[in-house]
Amino acid sequence: MEKGGSVAVRNAPVIGARQPRRGVYARRMWIKRLTIVAFVTPAVVMLVLTRLWPTAEAIYDSLFRQSLIGGTSFGGLANYVTVAKDPVFLKGLTVTAIFGLIVNPFQIVLALVFAVVLSERWRGAWFFRTVILFPAGVPSAVAVVIFGIALRPDGPVNGFLHDLGLPSQPFLNSPDQALASIILIVSWIGVGYWVIFLVGGVQDIPTTLYEAAEIDGAGWWKKFFSVTLPLLRRPLLFVLVADTIANALVFAPVQILTQGGPDGSTNLMMYDIYQRAYQQGALNDALAETVMWLIPVILIVAIQFRLLRPNT
Amino acid sequence: MSARRSATRRRTATRCMVLVAAVGAAYSLLPMWWAVVSSLRSPSAIFQNLYPLSSRTLWVSHPTLTNYHTLGADGFIGVAIRNSLISTSGTVLLGLLIAIPAAFAFVVFDSRFMRALFVFVLISFLVPFEAIAIPLGSTFRSLGLENSYLGLILPAVGNGMAIFLLRQFFFGVPIELLEAARSDGASWLRVLRSVYVPLCRPAIVGAATILFVFQWQSFLWPLIIAPAPNFTVAPVALGEFVGEFQVNYGAMLAGAAVTGLLPALVFVGAQSMFNRSLARSGLVG
Repeated sequence: MEKGGSVAVRNAPVIGARQPRRGVYARRMWIKRLTIVAFVTPAVVMLVLTRLWPTAEAIYDSLFRQSLIGGTSFGGLANYVTVAKDPVFLKGLTVTAIFGLIVNPFQIVLALVFAVVLSERWRGAWFFRTVILFPAGVPSAVAVVIFGIALRPDGPVNGFLHDLGLPSQPFLNSPDQALASIILIVSWIGVGYWVIFLVGGVQDIPTTLYEAAEIDGAGWWKKFFSVTLPLLRRPLLFVLVADTIANALVFAPVQILTQGGPDGSTNLMMYDIYQRAYQQGALNDALAETVMWLIPVILIVAIQFRLLRPNT
Repeated sequence: MSARRSATRRRTATRCMVLVAAVGAAYSLLPMWWAVVSSLRSPSAIFQNLYPLSSRTLWVSHPTLTNYHTLGADGFIGVAIRNSLISTSGTVLLGLLIAIPAAFAFVVFDSRFMRALFVFVLISFLVPFEAIAIPLGSTFRSLGLENSYLGLILPAVGNGMAIFLLRQFFFGVPIELLEAARSDGASWLRVLRSVYVPLCRPAIVGAATILFVFQWQSFLWPLIIAPAPNFTVAPVALGEFVGEFQVNYGAMLAGAAVTGLLPALVFVGAQSMFNRSLARSGLVG
């Protein structure tokens, strides 16, 4: 990551043929310091105010209870207990866990397959590369709205099933199929997005390694498992972590299409938190729920780091 | 003999790959294609030609712009698209204005303090924004930023990923150029403007794309901070279409087509530059 070089600047604050006088030097140091402050402050202030401060505030406020007459009082972990006892939360947690266990491997395997296929040198690969990346730029709300219409009982997906001689399916209206439908919708965007990162990784693998493997008589699969996969470890770890976090925070499809239903079958955590904060007005409970949801997510990400750390 | 067998095998492998790519391409394109084609039908014709499917499901022989006229006349979604354009361009401009000097400072003014500060930037970019949208929303409301462009824009301008990407790219600028410019008496701002920015255009395009996509697709934050109809952004407006009692599917698909295609075009255009800058960032290498 570090490329050095900047050290040269630090050690040579004075550039020029003549050795300047002391006052000039001090003045330059001041200008340099002021420049640093001016250049870095806006970014740091924005990151503190919009990322770190709200995180700290959420944790702090989750310890305070809202009273019915307004105002708050310290309640320790009382909000956490309230949320943990709520059966809606428990069902939502189960649903979100099932969702995560299916959607993450599904997206990563698909993204890996496409990345490998699209990195190979064959005519037309560039065309498919652009096409498969296309959904990554589409806002999730747009994808959700289009799929919402397409999956209607009288929509084109059921038209397609009809042509195959299959019975029409309820999709989003059925407690058994709604979550699977949401997985397909979020993967339409997700897979294209992760392919971007993996294609770069595959293309960075030196071709000489493949040539060496070929000389050793390795076939396509052998090359995939002994060259591609080990050398993709870093981008794969990044994609796994980022994908896990992204899928832990899925919100738009639930809010727009199912509102957690039918029968609580799509009540993903982010929607449950939003519901608690804005529909029920229990903001402090919602903050406790956010913390309770992020702790397992962070733990899972930490485990992923440990298991997949490169060079171990 | 073995050479011929391996050639056959290679041909089979290529065929398999083309097949996989074609299936993926179809799955990527069909939903949007269908939406665009259907948005060019009259509203009553949208659910026709589906039983059975025919070539007319994915093609429209007499396109009509009725739905787009409705969209323009409706006002609501027209205003929403305008709001999205305003908040997104504001985010890209302000975001770059913040990220470029910061990335430059992290590269040029190297010290232990600056390194610590950079670690701090990295940590903040690991905090997923959606997770803190709800607490941040209550802070912004108490500051009176509800239903304002500033409220929509501010949380998106501090983008750690954009800073990270630019910094990795700025490292690639030869230090001799900086020294030469400084010894000619150029100010730090001048060095940034006339050496680093022109040399790192792909990275700046990449950072702009990150900022653009982040704001254009953002849904939860606008829903919380800008619920008033004259501040609704396009994705939220589209979502509200679905909940309406009498849904105009034609207008809805037209709105989806406009909202969906605009960033996709930007994205595909910027893709080659973005790839190049990602490869150099070391983020994926």
